[in-house]
Amino acid sequence: MRFIVRRLGFFLVTLWAAVTLNFLIPRLMPGNAVLAMMSRYKGHVNPQAMHALQIAFGIKAHESLLHAYFTYLGNIVRGDFGISLTFFPDTVSHQVLQALPWTLMLVGTTTILAFVLGTFIGLISAWRRGGSLDGLLPPIFVITSAFPYFWLALLAIWLFSIKLGWFPESGGYDVTTTVAWSWDFISDAIYHSILPAMTILITAIGGWILTMRNNTISVLAEDYVRMARAKGLSPWRIMWTYAGRNAILPNLVGFAMSLGFVVSGAILVEFVFNYPGVGWMFLQSVENQDYALMQALFLMITVAVLLAILVADGATAMLDPRTRDRS
Amino acid sequence: MSVPAVADSPSVAPLETPARRPGADLWRAVARNRKAVVGALLLLFFFVLAIFPGQIAPYAPTGEEFGRGLPPSSAHWFGTTAYGQDVLSQLIWGTRQSLAIAFAVGGLATLISVLIGVSAAYFGGFTDGFLSLVTDVILVIPIFPLIIVIAAYERNSGMVTLVVVLGLLGWSYGARQLRSQALSLRNRDFLEAARVRGERGLYVVFFEILPTMTSLIVASFLGAALYAVLFAAGLQFIGLGDPNSQSWGTMLYWAENNEALGAGMAYWAIMPGVCIALLGAAFALLNYAFDEISNPALRRRKLEQKGAESLHTAPVPEVAADPTKILEVRGLSVAYASDAGPVVAVDNVDLDLGRGEFLGIVGESGCGKSTLLYAIARLLGAPLAGEITGGQILFKGRDMVTLGERELRHIRWREYSVVMQSAMNALNPVLTVEAQMRDALEAHSKMSKREMHARAEEVLRLVSIDPVHLHSYPHQLSGGMRQRAMIAMALLFTPDLIIMDEPTSALDVVAQRSLMVQIKELQERLGFAVIFVTHDMSLVSHFSDRLLVMYAAQVAEYGDTRQLFERPLHPYTQGLLEAFPSIRGEKVRLTGIPGAPPDLLRPPSGCRFAPRCPHVHERCMIGPPLYEVDGDLVRCVLYEHEREAALAQ
Repeated sequence: MRFIVRRLGFFLVTLWAAVTLNFLIPRLMPGNAVLAMMSRYKGHVNPQAMHALQIAFGIKAHESLLHAYFTYLGNIVRGDFGISLTFFPDTVSHQVLQALPWTLMLVGTTTILAFVLGTFIGLISAWRRGGSLDGLLPPIFVITSAFPYFWLALLAIWLFSIKLGWFPESGGYDVTTTVAWSWDFISDAIYHSILPAMTILITAIGGWILTMRNNTISVLAEDYVRMARAKGLSPWRIMWTYAGRNAILPNLVGFAMSLGFVVSGAILVEFVFNYPGVGWMFLQSVENQDYALMQALFLMITVAVLLAILVADGATAMLDPRTRDRS
Repeated sequence: MSVPAVADSPSVAPLETPARRPGADLWRAVARNRKAVVGALLLLFFFVLAIFPGQIAPYAPTGEEFGRGLPPSSAHWFGTTAYGQDVLSQLIWGTRQSLAIAFAVGGLATLISVLIGVSAAYFGGFTDGFLSLVTDVILVIPIFPLIIVIAAYERNSGMVTLVVVLGLLGWSYGARQLRSQALSLRNRDFLEAARVRGERGLYVVFFEILPTMTSLIVASFLGAALYAVLFAAGLQFIGLGDPNSQSWGTMLYWAENNEALGAGMAYWAIMPGVCIALLGAAFALLNYAFDEISNPALRRRKLEQKGAESLHTAPVPEVAADPTKILEVRGLSVAYASDAGPVVAVDNVDLDLGRGEFLGIVGESGCGKSTLLYAIARLLGAPLAGEITGGQILFKGRDMVTLGERELRHIRWREYSVVMQSAMNALNPVLTVEAQMRDALEAHSKMSKREMHARAEEVLRLVSIDPVHLHSYPHQLSGGMRQRAMIAMALLFTPDLIIMDEPTSALDVVAQRSLMVQIKELQERLGFAVIFVTHDMSLVSHFSDRLLVMYAAQVAEYGDTRQLFERPLHPYTQGLLEAFPSIRGEKVRLTGIPGAPPDLLRPPSGCRFAPRCPHVHERCMIGPPLYEVDGDLVRCVLYEHEREAALAQ
């Protein structure tokens, strides 16, 4: 219990750090990007948009930095991220909520799938040490894990869409179908998500395979695995409850640590595929200098990663009694 | 101690290996690793391109002098861009920036991670708490989106900004690793020694701590360099870099903007990615190789069959098993694979064990006694690839050496069980005591849940542990309780033989004693035989029926415990006995044995104890056999006359 409380504390500290960075970065940049931007926009956008910017940056005339900071914090706590310039006059929050399900479905599913599959393959590979699987996989995945996601996405589009015509080139769904909870729409969305999903899966899975394999190899050298052999347990039982269950614990920590990397890659994959998710919207906002939207999306991505880490922590606490007892 | 030279005798290998610089070892390990070599060659290739682009590239990278979007030809291997530039030349010129970013960011990030990681570990306390928190926060904040946010405000940022931002955000993973390694070093003897010598903090950090972490520092450099290559290319690709710079990421940006893939200029879009992937792969391969080098368990050594066969000692004669014995070991040899060749850890050992007998095996650490034990239990294997290279292990008439893993599983735990040195390591940390007993019971019997629970409670009571601890996890028990719980586990099926590997060594003297008494009582009550390995001869003196003294993989002396204590024959046994104070005996000076056991990779050619023996003389240059003296066996030429006398009779 105390473990979870401590992790919650860490969650809040990290969230606060991200929010503060968000507030400080535009002000710390050379030439104070915020002021420069405000003067640039003055007269070009209507007062409502101006107000949106003021909310995004917590800026009002003649306010001290500290006061601005607290105004900003207050807005964020209320979920008021201002108004999007790109999708004017829609609010940032509404836009973010529209993009969110797409990313959750695509990136969330593939990340979990990559972790589960990678962990499983890593375990088997280490268990059959020296077998053909183990001889082949590690070198291959050392290399694929170094691939740039976006390049693999380009390659996938070139091969499977342009050359072979198997999958659509871009988008999350066919614009001619109506967005609704209908089978047509869902199957179309799945069809559109196959290429981007495979791209993320192939680049992300290598890391999990390698760490799980190496963890398992270390665990297999432990006395308790030898003890399990001495007890004459079935190889299946030894692999899962003795080797696997202990080897997955550091992998869960690794999951938390490399999640940011996977999400970064996913952003670019969405960009390449014009996939209507958070990552694509994030880069759109950068392109359109829609800073309010950009900042909100950055926070969103951070919160998503932090939530995933909390889930990993919960799983660790469930699987490892020592974590539960540690104060 | 001088051994007179004997003609034609092989020279005695030096006992101590000469001190080598750790750097030389690392270098050799890298050169032997195939992944490292491939990674290094790739990196070298890109280095050459980066240093001499003008000499290698066929054209200038920016000149828009050719046809637009030409397909690949002998003049333009990868075709031309939509602006009429040679793709190959652009690739070659682009190497420079990618490498520069990789090394600059790698260097900066590594510098910060060393500073933060080592100072967190070195200073500890509040500093550590604060620095670790900062490290963890930066670690989980998604860095790439953050970089995009920064780059969005600072458009078309130059290389310097890019390097600084990537460097400032990319150090946390390395810092975390370095901190934990530095923490584990903090209490090592050599640091204590440096502190006692009065060396100053910074000196200790730079000359004592850092050199031992070389491979980890290199690994974190490679990791940061890899991430810099990928992130920089990503930024340039989405148009947040300098669009006029010569780099692979910028090439991809222009290629994407001109829809190169669909417009027949596929190489323009594919090749920069190939280069990024190859450079990334070079860093990843090197990183992985360093991981393997710093964690030897990841490397797999195989015992070379040729070497192993030559180790095979004289064939064991086919002799029928003695029905009065439950265990007969004949001519057993075990070898480990090592980088320098096979190491024979058990050399032609014979022993036997009657029903209900207690056999002690004693010797210094590294003499092969634990290996012998695990060979008998057929538990060799990971982490060290030990293999039985010869001999027989007859357990209740069956030769255990020839049994397959499946057949072994049927007799394991039912007929013989094992108790290990440290229950903390030998019990699965994530399962309760009951779960670990239940899985053994499930594997070998068809008991119901209730019966299994009853049996688990019963064996815990046998070792005087309250059955409430069935629901405890190993870490919740005290050291003594853990050991006893493990013994209880070994009693689940009341086997004929329990093999014990120093089960008391983790305990204090009082707890050791009471555990020994308990083991002996259980043995008398339940009638199982025991093989008990220990380095502490006095511990088994009152409990074992017979003793086997091992030295450098061989049996030095083997006989009745009482006789062996009263009249030790082998100079090594005598030395061992002199190393322990006698409680009842007269006051004598403890002399012990000077020197250390030999390196089993290169054991002395004659008697293995000769270099440390007070009675050494010429005839020790030839390895002695086991001589029988008053029913005991001893490997020492001092007793040669005894055999001659016996033969003469």
